[in-house]
Amino acid sequence: MSIILTDLTARYGADTVVNCVSLEIADGELFVLLGGSGSGKSTILRMIAGLMPLAAGRVEIDGRDVTNLPPQQRDTGFVFQNYSVFQHMTVAQNVEFGLRIRRVASSDRRRRSTELLDQVGLGGLGARFPDQLSGGQLQRVALARALAYEPTVLLLDEPFSALDVKIRAQLRQSLKEIQRQLGVTTILVTHDQEEAFELADRIAVIERGFLVEVDTPAALYHKPRTEFAATFVGGGNVLVGRMEGGHMRLGSVTLPLPPDAPPHEEDDSVRLLFRPETVYADAKLPSQQQGIHVLGEGSVCDEIFSGSQQRLRLEMRGFEGVRSLAPPPPYGRRIFYIDAVRISDPAAGPVGVELGQRVWVGLSRYHVLDPTGLKVLIACAETPAGQAAAAFGGLVARAAAGPTTLLAVAEPERMTAARDHLEGLRRRWPGGPSLRLTSKVRLGVAATEVLTEAQEGDYELVVLGRQREGLGAVAQQILQRTETPVLLVQETPSQIARILVCTAAGEPGKSDVRFGGRIARRTGAAVKVLHIAHPDAASWQHRRAEQHMAAAQAVLDGLGVEAETQIEEQRTPELVPAIVAEAQAGDYDLLVIGAPTWRHPARLRWTDFATQILRSTARPVLIVPMAT
Amino acid sequence: MNPRPKAVLVPPLLLVLTLLPLLLMPLGAIFVFAGRAGLPGLIATLSQPDAQFALRFSLLIAFGTAVVNGILGTFAAYVLSKYRFRGREALNIVVNLPVAIPTVVVGTSLLLLWGPIGLLGQLLDPLGIQPMFAPAGVLLAHLFVTFPYMLGAVKPVLDELEMTYEEAAYTIGASRWQTFRHIILPALRGGMLSGLLMTFAHSLGEFGATVMVSGNLRLRTQTAPLFIFAQFEAGNIEAANAVAAVLALISFAIFMLLQWATQRRSGRVS
Repeated sequence: MSIILTDLTARYGADTVVNCVSLEIADGELFVLLGGSGSGKSTILRMIAGLMPLAAGRVEIDGRDVTNLPPQQRDTGFVFQNYSVFQHMTVAQNVEFGLRIRRVASSDRRRRSTELLDQVGLGGLGARFPDQLSGGQLQRVALARALAYEPTVLLLDEPFSALDVKIRAQLRQSLKEIQRQLGVTTILVTHDQEEAFELADRIAVIERGFLVEVDTPAALYHKPRTEFAATFVGGGNVLVGRMEGGHMRLGSVTLPLPPDAPPHEEDDSVRLLFRPETVYADAKLPSQQQGIHVLGEGSVCDEIFSGSQQRLRLEMRGFEGVRSLAPPPPYGRRIFYIDAVRISDPAAGPVGVELGQRVWVGLSRYHVLDPTGLKVLIACAETPAGQAAAAFGGLVARAAAGPTTLLAVAEPERMTAARDHLEGLRRRWPGGPSLRLTSKVRLGVAATEVLTEAQEGDYELVVLGRQREGLGAVAQQILQRTETPVLLVQETPSQIARILVCTAAGEPGKSDVRFGGRIARRTGAAVKVLHIAHPDAASWQHRRAEQHMAAAQAVLDGLGVEAETQIEEQRTPELVPAIVAEAQAGDYDLLVIGAPTWRHPARLRWTDFATQILRSTARPVLIVPMAT
Repeated sequence: MNPRPKAVLVPPLLLVLTLLPLLLMPLGAIFVFAGRAGLPGLIATLSQPDAQFALRFSLLIAFGTAVVNGILGTFAAYVLSKYRFRGREALNIVVNLPVAIPTVVVGTSLLLLWGPIGLLGQLLDPLGIQPMFAPAGVLLAHLFVTFPYMLGAVKPVLDELEMTYEEAAYTIGASRWQTFRHIILPALRGGMLSGLLMTFAHSLGEFGATVMVSGNLRLRTQTAPLFIFAQFEAGNIEAANAVAAVLALISFAIFMLLQWATQRRSGRVS
């Protein structure tokens, strides 16, 4: 390996701009760091060159640990975005500068610079001064200068971004040729994905200082693992469906999971990526032989003809429970868009598909992204209850392995303090900060803002701190309006080792068992499912309870969770004491109870029940709404 | 639409007329008076030992000031431009302060520091070291008064010289000193030249601070401007004017050089 980066971390003041980036770059590879502005990609390059101090980590070049060496001793060639060609030296003097520093004889220097200038296409211009050259020529001088002393690695920081399109293309071509000829290991930083695709042997996608994904251009385009890479690289359509019976469900359509898809569990959300060129859009329904998975009918809401192809934007409606991540759906309307590309076909007449036309939309190929885990919202108030929510929420979020948002609500004048509070939490977060941990400050009153965020953010779990009084208005509103599971935390156990799922309230639920099971699987906790039977229950009710417990056991076994089930006869007139007694006896770290849907007749009785549970225990309680 | 050719000439003519009594005629007056006794008279006046000394002393001091402040000012500009440290802003203001302080006040404060009863002077006096009323005092005063000129000419160039030029040199393998010597210094040439000329010119004409610290001692600390003033007061208008004319000529020459230096610099950029 030519370059090995280990846990590279950089800070500007309190901001961490590069976060534990580890990469291995092979000899002779042309490696591209691709990311938006401010993503930290240039900082990584500067750290390799020794121009930016490391807060942590290690840089190894050609088997040599250079972490603590100054730039002079790292043997890198660096090409800057602004070229930085020395104005007072001629082109040849610029190229020879590195050799002059190394005390190479002037005849050898001359030979080398002539040879290099020929190679970069500037033969005969050695005597010119930089102010007599164009931008593209200056960039070639900078390249020749960086190569003159035969460095171990060549580092290029956005080398073409200040040039116009045509020259950029030429320079790309010559860079690639020169790199091939010399076989020098090269890292190039760019925000231009076309450039990355054309040049790279491999691409690393960088975002907010984190390494998102590393792969070959083709793999990154066709089979990315993350949503960020999928939407950042190339135009793409990403839809979110749900796993059902081993298939993906998108509204009324089911699609088979491709054989190479990462494993998904029943009821998990599935993110489906398909590129515009794999979308079928035509007035004719595709034939069986074409092997196209038809999604349904859509209408053409935008159309651009660009010679070789026709680009379409299709408006899709009537997909219940399907979300679109890209292209961004229009705000507040229950439709989404699909981008498609048709190859121009002169035989098909002047236009293939017209604006406003209704067409059949299908997919010839699609790709499934890695599962995200649960999307968690944690309300981090600066109260003891809020601290508890943050602490236990951290354990659960880590187990859920999904994107987590830390939310603080503050009055405008407390804004900065709230932000600092969240930043402190972020830094001490179990497992360290990651790309999937974001913080957010909302201005206003806590009760309404937490609810709004829960509604807008599409979360799968909301963690709230609680006092002992009971359910609380915020939790009740969230359960009622978003049907998102709510975790109420008062005291924080140090771990999640034992989980008690109570299915005693009315209908035995499926969602609560499954949700508890998912958390148990990720934390390695043991689960006990408890059903408390009414003494006067009819025998069919008993049978149903037994069936339900068997099903629960099967679900948990399927998840690979250590589980037991128990049906207990209700001895006291009230349910709650029995549950609390069991919770105490088994020393459970988390209680899970189901909640009936809002319109269910048992709702009022349930609220009373939940309040009683919460009043009689300080343990964390997870409330899971029943699936409708 | 072009205005009529004659109308175009009116504003420049007005400007020249206004400037005539303000700038042009006073300059002319020097030469008229200096030339009154004819060229032989002028040469005779200039060959007096007093006048000779004053001119030579002034040129020497101006040269010394330019050398010392050239180095010091470039160093200050480099530190203030390239290093980030606490109190940098305050230091930036302090080093530019001499432009704002009246030169007589500068002279006074130097006396209060280095004079025989001054803060440091009273410690040096028993050792027989007396910087005030001596050439050293004149140099000190001139260094103080002209300090900002070098800084002001070099720092903007350094500020605009992007960090990447230095970084490029570092990655190529040049040490800090090599980078300064081969990359930064050449880039500063134009700025340094104009800084040096400005410092030299201001030192040559310095009066307020010099008159305080020099004691105006003939053939010892009397600079050309002091000589002019002394001769004028004594009624030797011709002698005063002769030296004044020489000073004016040197200043013109320096000014032309400055123009040439800045033009060359801007020519290179475009």
